[in-house]
Amino acid sequence: MKTVTELQTCYQPYDDQTQMARQIPRYPRSFTRVPSQPLTQRPLTLSEITGPVGMDHRVGVEELDLSRAAQDGARALGQLISVSGRVTDEDGAPIAGAVVEIWQANSCGKYIHELDRFDAPLDPNFTGQGRLITDSEGSYEFLSIKPGAYPVIESGWWWRPPHIHFSIFGPSWMNRYVTQIFFPGEPLNEIDLLLNGVHDEEARQSLIFEAPAPEMGAVRMIPFVRDFVLRGKHATPELP
Amino acid sequence: MKPSVYCTIGPFFPTAFSDGCSDLTHYNGKVARGQHILLSGRVLEEGGQSTVNTILEIWQPDANGIFRHTLDPRCGQADPGFYGWGRAKTDAQGRYEFRTVLPGAYEWDGSLRVPHLNMMVLAIGLTRRLVTTVFFPEQADNLSDPVLDCLTDSDTRARLVAKRSAEEDSGGAIGYRFDLLLRGPAETPFFMD
Repeated sequence: MKTVTELQTCYQPYDDQTQMARQIPRYPRSFTRVPSQPLTQRPLTLSEITGPVGMDHRVGVEELDLSRAAQDGARALGQLISVSGRVTDEDGAPIAGAVVEIWQANSCGKYIHELDRFDAPLDPNFTGQGRLITDSEGSYEFLSIKPGAYPVIESGWWWRPPHIHFSIFGPSWMNRYVTQIFFPGEPLNEIDLLLNGVHDEEARQSLIFEAPAPEMGAVRMIPFVRDFVLRGKHATPELP
Repeated sequence: MKPSVYCTIGPFFPTAFSDGCSDLTHYNGKVARGQHILLSGRVLEEGGQSTVNTILEIWQPDANGIFRHTLDPRCGQADPGFYGWGRAKTDAQGRYEFRTVLPGAYEWDGSLRVPHLNMMVLAIGLTRRLVTTVFFPEQADNLSDPVLDCLTDSDTRARLVAKRSAEEDSGGAIGYRFDLLLRGPAETPFFMD
């Protein structure tokens, strides 16, 4: 069993240099919502280093295919893609049993959400959301449709490049993780406020899918790959 | 390896991912032990404007202060009717609501963690989550807690203590109110993450 000190040093604060800026010019809400006071340092106790493990007992984890609404139904419109990768801790150790949630716009850039005011059609065959649990190697794989770009209507100019939202439940409250992953080679990537809010080049690239060269026989879909590193060293809990 | 880069949850987090997740009082067909509570409030931005579809998640121990997690030495005695995680979204008025149990205190590294629950905030404009801790009036006022004690100013400390709200009592659940102001003169204190 790890000592209290070992448990507490598993999790270091996120490094501001390699994370997205907290406030981004022309992204107005970052100026009305990010606290004005410095964040307070606190000790890590059982409350912070534990977290919702076994989330598959709490929520469904069998939404692997976003590209059709019914198992034997028609495919959604758009380019069929696979989205896969591995979830590890900072040591590269796989995080098995992590619940991964994704959500995205359809191929026209329309979300299934009452707050989406973009005048683009919904696709009845597209589910827009997926949820699964990583296997013993920390791997995940979804089937989906390449999302379209969409405008942030109130901005008057900002088109979000195609991207997929991810939410991952690691074994601790300290490594609960939420992000957006972009597609390589998209012209809109160059002007996106969020993607370019990451100033470190390597860190910014880590928000973009890798597009491996198709192998012989891989003609069904285009594979996109993104691995994730959740905060924590030796983060997988051990039995006490 | 460096931890992956966070990004905002954005405006369109699927409703289906929140539905049914704000009630923590049942698990595996069993009812959670202890005092059930209704914790509700509003999430506001600078100027007191409400925020819509802000996602709040909570993580807490059961009524006896036990986490359903293998790092808790008492994990084997965790309440079979309680899981400890919940998620809620704010409506157009910025309102959210959790039904849960009053968390128990527990000892950790020689000090007492008074009853509390962890809360995280995800919203448009927040490129990273905000994390804080919600305390309850009687215990937080009278006992010392190693996390609450990190806030030295009494006004600031008071902002992390939910208020008893009898008008929101519901059935057997007692009401508490906890409002979050993300930015402004009386903003909610958040912890380094």
